[in-house]
Amino acid sequence: MKKACEKWKEPLREAALTGITAKDLEEHQRGCAECAAELDEVRARAARLDTLLPLMMQGAEPPADFRARVLAAADAAGRGKRGRPRRVWTLAGASAAVVVVLIFAVTLQRRTARRIPGDELAAAQKLAEWRAPSDGLLATPGREMLRTMPRLGQGYLNVPVKRDEEE
Amino acid sequence: MARAGACNPETGFGERVAENQRRVFQIAYGVLRNSADAEEVAQEAFLRAYQKFDSLRDAEKFRAWVNRIVFRLALNRQRGYRRRLARDTAWQTTETTAMVDGAKDAERRLTLERLQREVGRLPEKFRSVLQLSLVEEMDAGDVGVVLGIPEGTVRSRLHTARKLLLDVMK
Repeated sequence: MKKACEKWKEPLREAALTGITAKDLEEHQRGCAECAAELDEVRARAARLDTLLPLMMQGAEPPADFRARVLAAADAAGRGKRGRPRRVWTLAGASAAVVVVLIFAVTLQRRTARRIPGDELAAAQKLAEWRAPSDGLLATPGREMLRTMPRLGQGYLNVPVKRDEEE
Repeated sequence: MARAGACNPETGFGERVAENQRRVFQIAYGVLRNSADAEEVAQEAFLRAYQKFDSLRDAEKFRAWVNRIVFRLALNRQRGYRRRLARDTAWQTTETTAMVDGAKDAERRLTLERLQREVGRLPEKFRSVLQLSLVEEMDAGDVGVVLGIPEGTVRSRLHTARKLLLDVMK
C-alpha cells in the first residue's frame, strides 16, 4: 500500500467487515488499483474469519446421557434436601422453646422487682444513710491544728511576747 | 399421569434441562475449550438451577438465569486454570483436531489454532462477547443479558473483536 493510501487502511477494513463501502472510498478505489486489490484481499480475509469462527464451536455437544446425569445428580441433591426439613423443624422448635423460656424468665424477674415492700425500702434507705460511729473521732482539736500549716519561721504554738516586761 | 408429571418438580426440571443443555454446554465450552470441563460446569449450573427451581419455573427466566450462571462458572474455572498456568496451553490447543474433523486442510487447521490463540489473547470484554456470540441459539440480546450490557454494545464489541482478528487471517 502506498504511503498516500495509508489513510484508507481503516475504511478498507470497515468496508470488508460490514460489506458497506463508503462513497469516498469507492471514488478513491476507481483511481487506485492497489487499494481496490487491498479491499478484495481484506474481504477474503473477513470471509475466511467468518468461516473459521463457527468451527471453534464444532464438536461442542453435550454427551448423549448428559440430561440423565444431571437429573440423577439433582435427584441425589434433592434427597439430601428432603432430609433437611426435619432437622430444620427440630432446630426451629428448639429455638422457639428457648425464646419462650427467656421471655417468661424476664417477665417473672420484672414482676418480682416491682413488688418490693415499703418497710424493706425504708430499711434500705436507712442503710444508705448510715454513718460509722468512728466518723465522730475525726472531728478532734488536733485536726484543726493539722489543717493550718505554720508559715516559714512560725511555730505551731503562738505565744504572745510581752515586750514591755522585757525592757 | 400427565398431570402428576407436571406437578413433579423433577419432571418440569427435566424438560428445562432438555431445552437448554446444548446451549449451556456450548457456553461453557466456548470459554473452557474442553469437553470434560464444559460438562462439569454445565452440570453444576443445572444443579444450582435445580436448587432454585421454585423461582425459575418460567422457561424464559430459567433460560436467562442458567445462561448467566454457566458463563460465570466457566469464567471462574478458567481463571483458576490461568492462575495455575498448567492448563493455559491446553485451553488453546485441546480438541483442535476434533473441531476441524471435517476440515482436512492442514493449513486451515493451523489457521484455526492460531485463531483460537488470538481469541484467547483478546481483551476480556471483546473475548466474552465473541465466545458467547459463537454459541448457537444466542443472539445479541441473549449475549447482552448474560453480560449485563445493551444489545448495541454487544454488536459494537463483536465488530471490534472481528476487526482485531482480521490481521490473524493474513
